[in-house]
Amino acid sequence: MTNELTLSVNGVKQTVTIDPDTPLIFVLRNELKLTGPRMGCGMAQCGACAVLLNGKEIRSCITPVSGVAGQEVTTIEGLPAVWAAEKGLSADEAEKTLHPVQQAWIDEQVPQCGYCQSGMMIVAAQLLAKNPNPSVEEIKDAFTNAPPSPHLCRCGTYAAIIDAVQRAGKAMRGEAL
Amino acid sequence: MNSKTAQPETPVFGTISRRGFVKTGGALFVSLAVPIPFVARAAAAENPTSIDATLPESWLEIRSDNTIIARTGRTETGVGITGYYPQTIAEELNVRPETITLIMGDTDRTPDGGYSAGFLDGMTNVRKVAAYTHQALLGLAATRMGVPVSSLSVTDGVVTGGGKKITYGELVQGQHLELKIPIKGTMPKPDPTGEVGMTSMDGLTVTGDPPMKAPKDFKVIGTSFPAGHIPDKVTGKTKWSCDVNLPGMLHARMVRPVTMGSTLISVGTIDAKQFPTAKVVRKGNLVAVVSPNEWEAVQAAQSVADSTKWTNWAGLPGSENVTKAIRAHKFAKPSQSKGKAAETKGALQSATKKISATYEQGYVRHAPIGPFVAVADVNSDGIVTIWTHSSQSQGLRARIAYVLSVPVEKVIVRWLDHSGQYGRTTFGGDGAEADAAILSKLTGKPVRVQWTLPEDMAWSSVSPAWVSDMSAAVDAKGQIVAFHSAQYAPHMEDPRPLGALLAGMPSAASKPGGWVATEWPYNKIAHRLEDVYGMPNIAGDSAYGGLRGNIMRTPGQRQQNFALEGFINEAAATAGTDPIEYRLAHTTDERLISLLHATAEAANWETRPSPHRDARRSGSTAITGRGVCIMIRSNAYWVGIAEISVVPNTGVLKVTKFTLGCEPGKVINPRQLDRCMKSGVVMGLSEALKEEVTFDKSKVTSTNWNSYKILTMGEIPEIKIVQLSRDDKGFGGGSEAANALVPPAVAAALFDATGVRARKIPLTPSYVSSLLKA
Repeated sequence: MTNELTLSVNGVKQTVTIDPDTPLIFVLRNELKLTGPRMGCGMAQCGACAVLLNGKEIRSCITPVSGVAGQEVTTIEGLPAVWAAEKGLSADEAEKTLHPVQQAWIDEQVPQCGYCQSGMMIVAAQLLAKNPNPSVEEIKDAFTNAPPSPHLCRCGTYAAIIDAVQRAGKAMRGEAL
Repeated sequence: MNSKTAQPETPVFGTISRRGFVKTGGALFVSLAVPIPFVARAAAAENPTSIDATLPESWLEIRSDNTIIARTGRTETGVGITGYYPQTIAEELNVRPETITLIMGDTDRTPDGGYSAGFLDGMTNVRKVAAYTHQALLGLAATRMGVPVSSLSVTDGVVTGGGKKITYGELVQGQHLELKIPIKGTMPKPDPTGEVGMTSMDGLTVTGDPPMKAPKDFKVIGTSFPAGHIPDKVTGKTKWSCDVNLPGMLHARMVRPVTMGSTLISVGTIDAKQFPTAKVVRKGNLVAVVSPNEWEAVQAAQSVADSTKWTNWAGLPGSENVTKAIRAHKFAKPSQSKGKAAETKGALQSATKKISATYEQGYVRHAPIGPFVAVADVNSDGIVTIWTHSSQSQGLRARIAYVLSVPVEKVIVRWLDHSGQYGRTTFGGDGAEADAAILSKLTGKPVRVQWTLPEDMAWSSVSPAWVSDMSAAVDAKGQIVAFHSAQYAPHMEDPRPLGALLAGMPSAASKPGGWVATEWPYNKIAHRLEDVYGMPNIAGDSAYGGLRGNIMRTPGQRQQNFALEGFINEAAATAGTDPIEYRLAHTTDERLISLLHATAEAANWETRPSPHRDARRSGSTAITGRGVCIMIRSNAYWVGIAEISVVPNTGVLKVTKFTLGCEPGKVINPRQLDRCMKSGVVMGLSEALKEEVTFDKSKVTSTNWNSYKILTMGEIPEIKIVQLSRDDKGFGGGSEAANALVPPAVAAALFDATGVRARKIPLTPSYVSSLLKA
């Protein structure tokens, strides 16, 4: 029942021998020890498990690992490298630099319990890559209406997330914060 | 960075103090060296898996590099204590807050216990310890430097005096600090006669009155110091409770009864070919599947669930009948009363004009994004270690000890971050810990139990439904002269662990009851009586306790304030008076008056009675309205103002703006308070507009995010925050409460727009429509 699959996660190629139907989240967390994505509903209704697949959000709780083999998976652990590559930062600079979304999440003090925030930052990174200057309505739309479900936060940090996405956008556009 | 990076290492009984100590102190440890080694003292204490709270270094450990480890039994639950606590300690010690690392919630290496809802009490503890330590350090410095204490000053951990300088780190190196921290209280122990099945849940309190800084001298308190837990959470470095992974650990998925009262007939089987490593584990009605491979456990559990047989059961009233079920209970005397019974009843009886109304709400639930998870390791030497995200580590420790019938001293609880709890673990019972402990005992291996969302939404404890009967006598001008409230609700403090109930193991029962949660703001009302009546859980006599009621964010007030403030709004409308003016006419409390004025101004409040002159109850275009409510809680004052639009023909209600004012005495951290206020508004809107636990005769039916709906980002209004800080009233609780300000204000705004009273939440389109058509 197990296959050998080659995965590319956060720019690193790794081979796992695993049941190909295993949801990606279990592979990321238990095999690759990437615990950024977290198990929420297990049925693509909340967004806590979101990761990027070739730059587009997927829900790792319902995605079989076989479906991502050979493609580029990015978790929050890999966001700094995405930014470093985009800006052509040196290894030294990259070491010290977070993705602007992560930095904005710290600067705006977004997380309360923080459980859903990995998925929230994944949406933000995807949104800003496509639309570097989103309006409040566009931000709300990205976190609410994109399939398969809204990204839910029970602590209620939505207002802080909007602030942080706008701050990250400014940073990515090179504007003064 | 000042958050704990938790290590899921297994503590070793008897040497844990040394291990934990060396681990945290490392080679740099010099601390406030004591004549008897710390380890020996801890081991000599009554409980060898605890540390001695009278020792200053159990709380604060100053290291030679001038960094400080602070230990607290309280935990970060998302309200920012990893900001507040370092701020408070830094203030009294005169050090920089970023030099402080917190260790939180581990029962074997934090001193005081307690629960996170009591974060202000916990803050007072660390503040006093810091103040005592500061005094002792000054004494030490005076001796070392040969100058009087009065000539010393401390900035950023550097003591200066008589032309000399020394850092705290240098000062404590190899020195003996003669200091004993005065404490009172005890850690929780099982007590089936106690209110929540335990002795006090408050933990230890630091006593005495060490000299502490006056608010006017604060340098760190009052600033927006960042919360220490955030950077690691944002970068993926935090080890959450769901990340604990021990050698030999089994992953478990639970197979729950098909109804809330079903008992087991026969356990399903596992196809060993398909699931070679999975095994069924059973005790009583507790059924689980374990495997070293999580995905195999998930699949095998599904297959076992499909073939397991349970008895039928149908002992619930159905959520549509919940008010009827509460009304059907024969309430004896109130669990708590406030005010004067005889004179208030007399005043109401003799009144010429009376008003009355009934308010109600169904069950709601905490509904974290991350379902319960726990890891337990019941060692062959009898030591039980639990890795948890409970907000009451010491209470959980006692409860697990009771479930397993072992002494409390044999249980160690290690706390890690996880999804918010919103109150459901305040009494240390609800959760996956009992499941994990029982399964670890049965399998002899460490076991990680991960609940699923549908399981959590069907089986975790719930915030109970309630009914409130309000009545008042009013004078010719419409002023209230006598007020009576009677509030009825099922049990709200039942923290019995589900695992123990299913397995038929001991689970200290708690006493149904209730309390008057709202603090009385209307001191100009001459006669008042507030009664609260408690009853057992609905279906409480069934096998697993039925709908186990528990407290939830802003407990008591979230229910009672809807009724109280809804009723005050009704009285204002009856009097034809602006609802803010009406409140001002019923109080002399200057804190409340100031905040009402400030919040009204921020919201551009137009002084006029409700409903609005253009109010209507039909039409396909939107109409608008606004409403207000107040609350006093834990030395904090609150005012909420909602602005809404509603389309009468569809019943679709949108909150367009919410202005929230708070005066919690001295604001400790304006930005964290801003975050907590805004997020509280979101939770309150969610409850006002959407949330209800539904159930049929046998089980909960709202078991995922499509059937238990919470507010999404797209539904949030503009949220405007007003903070008033003052130096003369101490500290109040601002981290929770905001949610309780939303439902009454939104319901009042609906009345303003339509002239129709909503006396029940949630204000779903179908409910609003039915009200407008009535």
